[in-house]
Order: sequence, then C-alpha cells, then structure tokens
Amino acid sequence: MLTTQILYALAGCVVVALGLRGALLHASLLQRIVAINVMGAGVFLLLIAVAYRGPGLPPDPLPHALVLTGIVVAVSATALALALARRLPAEQDDD
Amino acid sequence: MTDAMIGLVALPLTGALATLLLPRWTTAAAIGAGLATTVAAALLLFGVATQGTLHYQIGGWSAGLGIALRADGLSALLLMMTALVALAASVYASSYFNTASGRARFWPLWLLLWTALNALLLSGDLFNLYVTLELLGLSAVALASLGGKRAAVAAALRYLLVGLLGSMLFLAGVSLLYAGYGTLDLAALARVVAPGPVAWTALAMMTAGLLLKTALFPLHFWLPPAHASAPAPVSAVLSALVVKAAFYLVLRLWLDVFASVVTPAAANLLGLLGAGAVLWGSWRALQAERLKLLAAWSTVAQLGYLFLFFPLLLALPPGPARELAAGGLVMLALTHGFAKAGLFLAIGIIQQRCGHDTIRDLDGTAQRLPATTFAIALAGVALIGLPPSGAFLGKWQLLAGAVATGQWVWLVVTAIGSLLAAAYIFRVLGHAFSHRPYPNQQVAVAREEWPALLLAAMAALVLGLAGAPVWGLLEVGT
Amino acid sequence: MSLLVFDGLLLFSIVSLAWATLTSSDERLSVILFMAFGLVLAVAWGRLLAPDVALAEAAIGAGLTGALLLAAVRGQPRPLLPGATHAPRKQGAAGVTVVLRLAVTLLSAALAGTLAWALLHAFSSTPHDLLPRAISENLEASGVSNPVTAVLLNFRAYDTLLELAVLLTAVLGIFALDQATPGYQPAGPVFDGLVRWLVPVLILMAGYLLWVGAHAPGGAFQAGATLAAAGVVLRLAGRSRTGLPDGYMLRIVMAAGVGVFLLVGLTLLLLGRPFLGYPPAWAGSLILLIETAAMLSIAATLLLAFLGGQPESTGVKAAANRQREEISRC
Repeated sequence: MLTTQILYALAGCVVVALGLRGALLHASLLQRIVAINVMGAGVFLLLIAVAYRGPGLPPDPLPHALVLTGIVVAVSATALALALARRLPAEQDDD
Repeated sequence: MTDAMIGLVALPLTGALATLLLPRWTTAAAIGAGLATTVAAALLLFGVATQGTLHYQIGGWSAGLGIALRADGLSALLLMMTALVALAASVYASSYFNTASGRARFWPLWLLLWTALNALLLSGDLFNLYVTLELLGLSAVALASLGGKRAAVAAALRYLLVGLLGSMLFLAGVSLLYAGYGTLDLAALARVVAPGPVAWTALAMMTAGLLLKTALFPLHFWLPPAHASAPAPVSAVLSALVVKAAFYLVLRLWLDVFASVVTPAAANLLGLLGAGAVLWGSWRALQAERLKLLAAWSTVAQLGYLFLFFPLLLALPPGPARELAAGGLVMLALTHGFAKAGLFLAIGIIQQRCGHDTIRDLDGTAQRLPATTFAIALAGVALIGLPPSGAFLGKWQLLAGAVATGQWVWLVVTAIGSLLAAAYIFRVLGHAFSHRPYPNQQVAVAREEWPALLLAAMAALVLGLAGAPVWGLLEVGT
Repeated sequence: MSLLVFDGLLLFSIVSLAWATLTSSDERLSVILFMAFGLVLAVAWGRLLAPDVALAEAAIGAGLTGALLLAAVRGQPRPLLPGATHAPRKQGAAGVTVVLRLAVTLLSAALAGTLAWALLHAFSSTPHDLLPRAISENLEASGVSNPVTAVLLNFRAYDTLLELAVLLTAVLGIFALDQATPGYQPAGPVFDGLVRWLVPVLILMAGYLLWVGAHAPGGAFQAGATLAAAGVVLRLAGRSRTGLPDGYMLRIVMAAGVGVFLLVGLTLLLLGRPFLGYPPAWAGSLILLIETAAMLSIAATLLLAFLGGQPESTGVKAAANRQREEISRC
C-alpha cells in the first residue's frame, strides 16, 4: 500500500465527484461538457494511481494505454458535443 | 466459425469505409456489407448451436494480456436479431434517404453503429466494452441528429451528455475492478470476483452507468425526445437495438460476472424500477399525440418488463425453472426488438406519405396504406403480448415465475402494463380505420413497406410459433 | 519526504483547479481554468512515471480540448450557450434549487466516499501484477520496446482500432451538422513570422514522436496531435489552407487509420494467423506502418474537429445546404 498511490487515488475520487456535481448542476451546456471532461480526468487519476508501483519498479503500462485511449475518446465526444451545441440557437432556453 | 466473429466486426467497419470512399455507390456498398454481416451472424449462430460457446483471443495473446471475444447462445441470438433488424432498416433507409448528400452522411455512420453493436455483443473484455459503448453512443447521437432540425439536435445533445455520464461511471467501475483484481477479462473476473467493497461499488457504478444508457425509469427522460425526433430508420435501430445493448451488458454483469455478488435485495430494486418503467411508460404512451412519441414511450415501458425478470431470476433456484425464465427474458427482448423496429419503420412510411404522424389525424390510413397498417397491427400484437407472438411466451414465463416465487406484485404490474399497451395500440388502430366509405384499392405492398411488414411478422408470428430453439440455444452458454 | 510535499502541493492544485473550473460562472474563465487543470494534470502524469500519458494530456487533453472549448466561447460578449446566466424561471423555484443543489452535492460526496472506501480496500489486498509481468515477458515478441506502445498497438490493438473508429465517427457526425466555424483574421507580422517557424518545427516534432514511440515515450497519438496543432496554428493565423488535403484525398486520409489497421489484421487472418496477430519478425514494421497511417488520420480528424466541419474550399458544402431540406422533411 503506497502512500503516493492512495493520495492520488483519493484525489481522483474527489475530482470525479466534483465533475459529477458540475455535470448535474450546471445550466450552461459548455460547463456541463467541461464537467464531464473533469470527471474523466478524475477516472484517469484513479487509473494512473493504480498503475504506479513506487519509484523502484516500472509502472504498469496497461492503465497508461487505457488512459491514452480514454483521452482520445473524450476529445472526440467533446468535439461532437460542441458541434451539436453550436447548432442550437442561443435564444432558446435549455433545461 | 470463429472467423465469423471477426467478420461481424470487420465487415460493417469495412462497409463504413467503403461508403466513405465510394460516394457514388454508397447504397450498394452499404447493403452489400449488411448482407455479408447478416450471413456472418447466421454462421455464428449455427456455430454456437453446434459447437457451444465460441472463444477467440485477438492477436493470439493469452486471456488478460490481449482482448477476448466470446459468443454464447445469448450473444449469438442478439447478434442475429441485430443483423436482421439492421438489414431490414437498411433496405428501408435506402429509399428514405434519396439525396446524394443525405446518403453520404447516413451510411458511414449507420455502418459504424452496426460495427459498435456487434463489437459490444462479442466483447469479453471490460475496457473493450467501454470503447464499444462510446462508439455506439457517438454513432447513435450523430445519426439521431441527422436532418438538422432543432428538436432533433437538442435531443441528440442531451442523449450524448447523458451517455457520456453513463460511460464515465462505467469506466470508474472498470478502473476499480482492475485495481482490485488486476484483470479486465470477463471470464477471469467471473472466477475471482467475490462479495466485498470493491465488487459492490464497481457493480453499482457500472450498473448506474448502464441504466442511464438503457433508459430505465427514472433515468429515462432523454429517450422519448431523442427517439421521436430522429429519422425513422434511426429511431427503429435506437429503440430496438441500441438500448438493448446496454441492457445486455447489465444482464451479462449481473448474471454472469457478478453472479456471486448480487443480492436479492438489489435485484428487487431493479424490479421496482422496471415496474415504474412499465406503468409510467405505458401511461405516457397512452397520452401521446404523435405516433413516434407513442413508440418511444412504449420502448421505455417494454424495457421495464425486461427488468422485472431480475428479481425472479434471483429468487428461483438454479434449475429448469430458472432456465425457462431466462429464456422468457430473451424471447421478450428479441420480440421487442423486431416489433419496435417494424413499428418505427411503419410510422416512417406514414410520415412520408401523409406528411405527419399525429394519431388523431390518421383517418383512413388503413385504406391508403393497408400493408403498413397491418404491420402496425402485427407489431402491436407483439407489444401487447398476445399469442402467438414471442412476447406472449416471454410474458407467460414472467407470470409463471412471479407465481412460483410468490412475488405477486410483478404479476399485477405486468397485467396493468399489458392492458395499457392494448389501450394505446387499439387507440392507434382505431384512428387508422376511417369510418367513411372508401373506394376499393388494390392491396399492393410497396418496396419500402416490406421491411416493416417482415419485422413485425417476425415478432408477432415467427418467434412465437418457432421460438422453442431459443431456450435450447441459451443452455449452450450456461 | 520532500516528494510528499511536492505531491501534496500538486494534488492541492489539481483539486482546487477542478473546483474553480466548475464553480466559475464565467464560461471563458472556466475554459481557461480547465486548460490549466489539464496542464497540471500532465505534470502529475510525469510525477507518476507516465510520460506517454503526460504528452498526450498536454497535447490533446489540455491543448486540443482547450482549443475546441475556446473556439466555442469565441467572440461572444454574452455566454454562447443557453442558460449560463439563467435566472430561475418559476416563483418558489429558488427553494427547490437549493434543495436540489444540496442533494446533488451529497450524492457526489457519497460517490467519492464509496469509491474511496472501495479503492482503499483494493489497495490493501496483495497487489496483482499478473498483467505487468505478462507484458514485460512478451515485450520482446511485440516488436517494440516501449511497453505502452506494445499494449496499444499489439496486445490490445483491437481497442486502438475501435478508438480510431470513434474518432472517425465523431468527425462524420460533425460533418453531418454542416456548420464549420468561421475563419480568423489574417495574422499580424509577428504572429505570421512565428507561424513560419512554428509549423515546420511542429511537423518535424510529429515525425520524431512517431518514430521514437517504439522505444521511448511517444507514438501515433501524440504525433497526430502535434500535427493537428500545426494545422490549428495555421488556422489561427488566418490562413485559408490549413494543411489538409482537398476533396477525395481528405476522405482517404480520414479513413487511413482504420483502413490500414483492418487491412493488416485481415491479411494476417487470411495468412492463417490470428486477427491482428503480427509475426514477431515483422511486428515492428507493421506497427510503424499502422502508426503512420493512424497519425495522419488522427491529425486530420482532430484538425477537422477544430474546424468544425469540412473546409470551405470543397464544393460539397453548398450542395449539401441546398439538399438539407429533403432530409428534414420527415
């Protein structure tokens, strides 16, 4: 049980929670998209923390690959979400 | 036969690239890829029926290091349903999208959606499932927003954000499982997972994410606008297949990977939510003014029935009774897939020919579009659960299981739900048959009406009358 | 001990930046804070010995996502997207909103707590290193010596194939919406001069990252993002040509990543090997081939995502605009 792992993993949990709260509460579409990205970053923190095995051992490369994939997927989704949001006229209300 | 698994993913994906790169032959390339994929699905079904569960390690790497593909009775049946529904909807779509730019936008995304569905149903790796879920979500959203109407784009955006939230929860669960067990392979996890904080939290998070994607009450709010505003062939596939894929994952997780972890209390919670979906969805369907909204709310309700099976499956001891109930669940899922797809395609035809889909103004549709109205009637039979549809068999098992385990509440819910379904279907048919006399017309089935008719017939007749092999196939996986 | 202090400061920055990003009421400020968040995250990845991820986070997570978000809030004196400064609609909604906010905050806190509890439990059991050992044992047969590249392009290549399909799907979806973002003003002399320098350097860097990814941090994704950055810079400088090929060639480049992957995988299948099962002697070259095609695809799709649609130079857009009515008929 490495202190570093625990610290970063706990931070990841907090960031996930912050992202979830932001995604559910914000009225602005843009800020909801940002919140979902923050939530993703929190999950990545969890994964990289799990991968870290201390200064002596090389880290577990599998979660690194997963996070890389996750980053690309997140940017794809964000791009599509922003494009959809751009098509909505600004005067209409969102719920 | 294991190559068929690769084919199921590679063929629609190649088709997607072909439709992107061959702008003048998009429809031909798409239908060709669709046919090839359907053949692959049939081969796989045959392979599973004769050889049992099929496994494939991609790249030849051992389980855990590489990604495993797995096909058992359940996934083979769902893959076959996916292929038939998608093929029928493709045929319909080839006449629905009749401009070059429309086709150029539609076909690549359509085939990518099909790829995602197949990849999801075949996957045996948790993170791979996450990637397929994202591919499914993005392609579904992109298709739902085609046409550019404001309502469709707004609904698609909500669908996307809800889907992303679900995916994030799912991925958090996956990370937790990797932290706790050091593997992403479903088969390996099924062997080592044990009740404890890691398993409970992971299952809860993954289920929450999947429930968002399968629109289970009360997380259903995004579905009716999205499915109602999408183009008709897209709505068909969204309701029949895409939400089913998330449900399949819940089933896989609860009954397979986490079988030792799930508790009857948790299953009862799912059952309660399912009951809410049945009642609320059927009620809102009854109130719907538009056909597409009715069909979308009906999907919410029908998915609820599927979740009613969970408390039964957990209460029944392993044995023939549980096998029958599981078969009933799958039969209900399959029937709904065909019926809902047929319904949406039929509604699409009505929208195209009449210019609207308002129920109250359907006066005389039966005479003008007899084949389409017949398709709606057949689909309705399957949605209500009348014999000889497959849904009747499924609901029968549901009722039998409820009686056998003494959980009478599900019986009551099913009865009320079926009555409400009968009400909203007959309401539609009532409006479709005009009271005025109408000159005799030749009953001819136009090309675009065939897919709807065939799908609805599949649901209402074929699955019910010839459905016994479903139970046999499901035992292959266990 | 000093590393613990560093960790503490870093994590504090990360959490506070996340908090600030999500509680800001100004959209533009949120986006800028989010970019800062991403960059500090990249530092964290470096600290946790994840340089591949750090590169990708800086280039894609903070850089390109930030650029996309900034483009979305661009030129709006008021918030771009609906509801940002949205007053409560109904009377008495204020009380409901407070309760709602509290409920959501509690829900999120419960989530964090449960997740943390489960993670602590997971960490306290014996660590599982079956997979890391398997990866290092098979590393030599994989054809590359960077273990992350080995996982991405060999052991779990199927995931990468699907991920490239995800990218393609997003861009096709963006195309279908048919709303390219407006261009930028031509750059002044200083920026223009910088661009003349910067773009070739970025292209070189992309090539280097691609090549070096086999045995050091780097690879197709980081290279593709760098290449896309070059195109973004050209766009920001007001150039109309952003380095993308025209017309049909663009489609080929978009399809290249998935296409080459499939081609290699299926050819191997025809030759009797498992799907995407590279023969060890050829693995390195096949991976480089796939990564080159992937880099071009990734660069093109990320740049197209930033542009928001097809470049105006192609004639498809006008025709598509005319014909849009037919689709929205039903």
